[in-house]
Amino acid sequence: MIASRLIPRSAIRTLPSRQLTLSRWSRGFASASGSSPEKEHKTANSEYCTNTEIEEKDLVIIGGGVAGYVAAIKAGQEGLKVACIEKRGTLGGTCLNVGCIPSKSLLNNSHLYHQILHDSKNRGIEVGEVKLNLETFMKAKETAVTGLTKGVEFLLKKNGAEYIKGTGSFINENEIKVELNDGGESVIRGKNILIATGSEATPFPGLTIDEQRVVTSTGAIALQKVPETMTVIGGGIIGLEMASVWSRLGAKVTVVEFLGQIGGPGMDTEISKATQRILKKQGIEFKLNTKVVSGDTSSELVKLDVDAAKGGKPESIDSEVVLVAIGRRPYTQGLGLENIGLETDERGRVIIDSEYRTKIPHIRCIGDVTFGPMLAHKAEEEAVAVVEYISKGHGHVNYGCIPSVMYTHPEVAWVGQSEQDLKAQNIPYKIGTFPFSANSRAKTNLDSEGLVKILADPETDRLLGAHIVGPGAGEMIAEATLALEYGASSEDIARTCHAHPTLAEAFKEAAMATYDKAIHF
Amino acid sequence: MAASTGFTTSSRCLAAQNFTMPALSPTMTEGNIASWKVKEGDSFSAGDVLLEIETDKATMDVEAQDEGIMMKIISQDGSKSVQVGTRIAVLADAGDDISTLELPADEQPQQSAQSTSQPSAPAPREEPKSAAKPSAKPESAASGTYEHNYPLLPSVGLLVHEHGISKEDLSKIKGTGPSGRLLKGDVLAFIGAINADRPAQVSSHFSKLAHLDLSNIKVAEKKAPAPKASEAASKAPKAAPKEEKVLVQLPISLESVVQLQRRLQDSADVSVSTATFISKATAFANSRLPAVPHAPTASELFDEVLGLGKAKATKFSQGAYVPTIPDYSFTASRRASTPKSDIIDILAGPAKKSSSSSAQRATPRLDARLAADGIHTFSLLVPKEEKARAELFLERCKLALEEVPETLI
Repeated sequence: MIASRLIPRSAIRTLPSRQLTLSRWSRGFASASGSSPEKEHKTANSEYCTNTEIEEKDLVIIGGGVAGYVAAIKAGQEGLKVACIEKRGTLGGTCLNVGCIPSKSLLNNSHLYHQILHDSKNRGIEVGEVKLNLETFMKAKETAVTGLTKGVEFLLKKNGAEYIKGTGSFINENEIKVELNDGGESVIRGKNILIATGSEATPFPGLTIDEQRVVTSTGAIALQKVPETMTVIGGGIIGLEMASVWSRLGAKVTVVEFLGQIGGPGMDTEISKATQRILKKQGIEFKLNTKVVSGDTSSELVKLDVDAAKGGKPESIDSEVVLVAIGRRPYTQGLGLENIGLETDERGRVIIDSEYRTKIPHIRCIGDVTFGPMLAHKAEEEAVAVVEYISKGHGHVNYGCIPSVMYTHPEVAWVGQSEQDLKAQNIPYKIGTFPFSANSRAKTNLDSEGLVKILADPETDRLLGAHIVGPGAGEMIAEATLALEYGASSEDIARTCHAHPTLAEAFKEAAMATYDKAIHF
Repeated sequence: MAASTGFTTSSRCLAAQNFTMPALSPTMTEGNIASWKVKEGDSFSAGDVLLEIETDKATMDVEAQDEGIMMKIISQDGSKSVQVGTRIAVLADAGDDISTLELPADEQPQQSAQSTSQPSAPAPREEPKSAAKPSAKPESAASGTYEHNYPLLPSVGLLVHEHGISKEDLSKIKGTGPSGRLLKGDVLAFIGAINADRPAQVSSHFSKLAHLDLSNIKVAEKKAPAPKASEAASKAPKAAPKEEKVLVQLPISLESVVQLQRRLQDSADVSVSTATFISKATAFANSRLPAVPHAPTASELFDEVLGLGKAKATKFSQGAYVPTIPDYSFTASRRASTPKSDIIDILAGPAKKSSSSSAQRATPRLDARLAADGIHTFSLLVPKEEKARAELFLERCKLALEEVPETLI
């Protein structure tokens, strides 16, 4: 085996004196163009003056989302001089501010509310009048978000990473102009530059997002009143989570999905069907294989014309709020990629190689803005790997082993390949399943919907994928991911002791069912 | 030293093997030998660094996989561009008397393609595939031994006991798991319970999945940004390519400038051109203009929903206006991206009002021209949304030129 002791040559190569002269030239240009960094012209006689020195960092990160801030912290730990540019005003990006974190607060509290309202009597708990205070409800969410974003800011400081509040754009291959949030402009140089600008909700053609009546996930976590009716365009993870929240709080929710299954194409079809059944019981209506043709916001209710792909009649749906959740697209607007000649692919993703380098080797790119699944934990892995590529010359992310979780109730989680994936590739597999209705803990919790499904190679028994819909699926998937990462067989999982009574026993039993037979089913 | 080629028997008989330039990365074709860390005759044990290899990307250590003796170094320190697979040294097994051993023949380079599993060759991930395919029972047929991580996986441990596989036999099985870990399938293949190729096939499937699929990238066509821009424009009407432009005008008297020029000329014998005054005034007026109004972005909308919108509204930005003055134009455009007014429009419009304009046009010198008439109409052609901003700009120009021209110099 090779212990690769890698010298980051690219970092050394970016130092030649030629570029120092370039910097002088570009400073001259900056002043000539009248866009000098010095902006505090107090009197008319103030001249265009330039910053005396443009600061050079080992690494400049554009974007303070999960990819960006994790890279900043990691780079600080590796001893690099690092700056992280973020325009939002708070760190954490989509995930912390308007994505994963606030939505989980809403999901958890709306679940509690729903349970108290509908599921307490049969448990022997009688409650008086239950009232929803949406304002406090949202405040609880804000508290969680603020606490976490402040925490991230502290972590950056602790690890010596500079945090610049402003909008970064490329001037040239080494310099980035930052329009500071509190006025003014500055220029920063980076020996290495990391693009981590993330993604934005894909708008639906013909519907203007106002975040009040026609909302993206961003508006859907901040509605000021519970709508009577809500239509969700797109039955993927984001759509279903938001559908759950507002349905639990009392909205009549309809989900319109173009594909034949909910949960997105990555979810195992069998699990997807089971999930749909459960969510339907909770009151969410589904229209699958259905296309939204057009939308009209002129009247009091937003009207959507939909067309069933398979022989259905065209119909229209009126609702108070429409959530557009048809996916996300890479965000590179205003970044100035054209100034350095960087290209994107046809879906707007920044083109990279396997070491996250763009065609300009000292500029790298990770997270939602480039290839791979748009997941915070994927971005986080890449952030660590990319800093290791810069500082050590080697990094690693196992893309075959990235779990996905949908935080509805019950949760849905999976890792590895789905049955339809394997079928499509003609890869043989065997299946083992176990229902939560046969799991003791799920029974005692009166929360026993769902199942665990394990896919393994029929000959070697090596785990190929694990798919769970059921209580605690999001936590349980960690076990499956670990097993997959270490090349375990289903027998290895089954022969590992699991505490009793726990939900995780269902996972063990499913593994038993895969290589042999389950005991309790 | 374990020879693991399985194709040649010579190395085993001689107990001395050729050590070839390893491929340290899938794309590496050649490398430089930076330095040998062992001398001829030195013995080494597994994990010792044998040599340091330089490639165009990095300098890397090559470690010994097993114990042995450095019999002969063929490519010395500093050898440049040594092709992968070229013999660079000869190694002997630990305990051999190297004085009695013959040097094996150089089997390279024609064999290099097959001998990726030479003693110290790295790239363990690639090995299972190449090694497993040729024979039905590659692991047991090959003479290689593998060190396994203990504890064994529960399933492996059970199979080992069930089938009474000795530790020695076990070490002949090559693990196809991550980092060569011995998996259930490997043992099943060893005892013949399943197809011998299967573990390697599954493993290669996994190594494929482990990487981002960066094949078939379709670069967005150069034209793509244009439709995208118009798409964005349909959302935000302001950015539409056919922007409505408005003409903003303000008459400004240059009298006080002229007076100041005279005073300077008389008292200090300094001549400052009117153009200088105007460009200074423009610079002053351009600084800290209110931000260009634009359709709210997603995050601004969100802030507005939360009532945070006002906090950010006080944003200032640097303007880039260049006023157009009849019969006067800045010779050097300050900036390519300046929203330049169409000179024809301006001339066709306000120029008519000025009765002396034709006379002025004939005057060759700028200063003389401007001095001849006290009042000039400063005009700007700007997008509709920027009207207020442009008006403020002109007001400031007026202030600077009429009231306080002294501050401009």
